[in-house]
Amino acid sequence: MSHLVNEKARILTNENVGPRLHLMVIESPIIAKSIQPGQFVHVKFPDLEAHILRRPFSVYGHNEKSGTIDILYQEVGSVTRLMPSMQSGEIELIGPIGNTWSTDCTRALLVGGGVGAAPLFMLAETLKHAGTPFDVILGAQTKDALVARDRYKALMEREPCCATDDGSYGSPGFCTSLVEERLSQGCIEDGAPYDFLAVCGPEPLMRIVADMGAKAGVRTQVSMEKRMACGIGACLSCVVDTVDGKKRSCIDGPIFEANKVVW
Amino acid sequence: MNAAVPSTTDVKLAVNLGGLHMKNPVTVASGTFAAGREYSDFVAVETLGAVTTKGVSLKGWEGNASPRIAETPSGMLNSIGLQNPGVKHLIDHDLTWLRDIGATSIVNVSGHSFDEYVQVINALEATDLVDAYEINISCPNVDAGGMTIGTDPASVREVISMCREATSKPMIVKLTPNVTDITEIARAAVDGGANAISLINTLLGMAIDAYRRKPQLARAVGGLSGPAVKPVALRMVWEVHKAVDVPLLGMGGIANGIDAIEFMLAGATAIAVGTANFNNPTATVDVINGIIEYCEQQGVKDVNELIGALQ
Ligand SMILES: Cc1cc2nc3c(=O)[nH]c(=O)nc-3n(C[C@H](O)[C@H](O)[C@H](O)COP(=O)(O)OP(=O)(O)OC[C@H]3O[C@@H](n4cnc5c(N)ncnc54)[C@H](O)[C@@H]3O)c2cc1C
Ligand SMILES: Cc1cc2nc3c(=O)[nH]c(=O)nc-3n(C[C@H](O)[C@H](O)[C@H](O)COP(=O)(O)O)c2cc1C
Ligand code: FES
Repeated sequence: MSHLVNEKARILTNENVGPRLHLMVIESPIIAKSIQPGQFVHVKFPDLEAHILRRPFSVYGHNEKSGTIDILYQEVGSVTRLMPSMQSGEIELIGPIGNTWSTDCTRALLVGGGVGAAPLFMLAETLKHAGTPFDVILGAQTKDALVARDRYKALMEREPCCATDDGSYGSPGFCTSLVEERLSQGCIEDGAPYDFLAVCGPEPLMRIVADMGAKAGVRTQVSMEKRMACGIGACLSCVVDTVDGKKRSCIDGPIFEANKVVW
Repeated sequence: MNAAVPSTTDVKLAVNLGGLHMKNPVTVASGTFAAGREYSDFVAVETLGAVTTKGVSLKGWEGNASPRIAETPSGMLNSIGLQNPGVKHLIDHDLTWLRDIGATSIVNVSGHSFDEYVQVINALEATDLVDAYEINISCPNVDAGGMTIGTDPASVREVISMCREATSKPMIVKLTPNVTDITEIARAAVDGGANAISLINTLLGMAIDAYRRKPQLARAVGGLSGPAVKPVALRMVWEVHKAVDVPLLGMGGIANGIDAIEFMLAGATAIAVGTANFNNPTATVDVINGIIEYCEQQGVKDVNELIGALQ
């Protein structure tokens, strides 16, 4: 097991980037140095005594030189609704937690629904660095919510494939039709078939894409986000049903082989 | 980052919990710390008074469906369902590790039948890896008509005397707070042969998502823990301390040294840190250090002076 730290970190910036979507940049030099694609941090915010549990967030980006990590988060409940008001101050991060995406592939397709785009970005960076061709499909409710598009575009030097539920940008409807299209046409660069599909987003989306991957015979990994208490493997709050029994999504995951998950 | 260790002090911290020697009064609440390995990056597990392991059954249990937890104001609900891989796995994987690092171990035992408790203890008695048992009588049990044993004094007396025959090691009986009169259950446990009583287990509760019109937990109900239960736990420790002569292991919402002192004043000889570990992975050592700080500040030379010292 890799070593975990509980790092005293500092919020540097925290800006609104879309509807109920925010980007937090955190000074956290130890974790910035050791974080791997797909891993997450378990965050304790100050002055929230009534909220006795930490909140888990994927690391969207990292910069070893500046010792910072980025979190892309959505307001969904009590703590995430309070987070936008935290413009500075000390927080605590346990990390880096969890396993990492596979990079053992020759053509990869990355599929991110909503904030599910975040934990895939460091994988995209790794693939780019290794010279492995990959394509990216992003889905969101509206154009404004496609907040990861620019970052992917800058990395890939071309547009990722996008879908919006309301049709305000890219292909209208769910991004699953884009996945179908890509799987049948192959990698944009050379038309060769993909041999790896990485998916993160709402569970129903991951399930549909996992089925598509299975039908196409493409190895598929998903990132499972369960409610977590300890975040480090001790409490069994976060289990995922798999063909090998119940597994802890925090440290046996969050990345699972899709064909092992019992949905 | 180095794992945290307690500060050095002249205050005498050792306590005797019904025959179990503890170097300080702080252990962990079963199920919140696994067997300690997961926390060993944060705290030097062997420096704790003892490590209480996750509830273990004979062959292992799958546990409940997800979602298994929900946060509530100053607390949380859980319905893990005593998921565990069985006693053999605990022995081979965890108890040997605890022995190797020099930790004191308390093994929390659960069973679906009276006989299962005895079989688990028998399997553990065949090793020399257990320093004390904590018998969790909050499990639903076939021999108690599917009810929790811990709510019926006759069942408690019966299962605890069966366990008593299986071991001469210190035996702690862990009570459920979901009863009308906790002292009645505590007396039954002592009659059955308990050397110590631990309390409280979680309080049955529920959380609802108004927008989805559904319970937050897959099993609808779960056990409440964390600071929200502390007043109930303190009251019960205080009541049981007056009712029985055996030492008590107090728990329920302890997050710092002062919380721990309050339990000792109410009558606890030792205390357990549970849910607080999730928020603060060094909570156990922080509690020990908080106890030390209180004692030094208050001129307490030996923590035993504090037990039941409520004025
Ligand atoms: C490994 C991991 C990585 C994550 N990465 C990100 C990320 O990069 N960006 C982001 O915005 N969110 C991420 N999440 C989800 C995030 O942790 C939750 O949205 C957050 O904990 C909700 O806190 P809250 O207090 O606002 O909501 P609460 O008030 O606690 O709950 C509100 C609603 O959110 C749901 N919820 C609670 N916890 C989770 C959870 N762990 N996962 C999904 N839904 C949950 C509840 O069921 C409830 O319906 C991640 C979760 C995990 C497990
Ligand atoms: C996630 C979780 C799992 C638990 N598992 C067990 C268990 O296996 N056996 C047991 O006797 N108590 C179990 N408990 C109860 C705790 O040991 C303790 O009695 C209770 O949580 C109150 O203490 P706290 O508020 O400090 O957590 C569990 C509690 C939690 C939160
Ligand atoms: S959150 Fe505790 S085991 Fe995963």
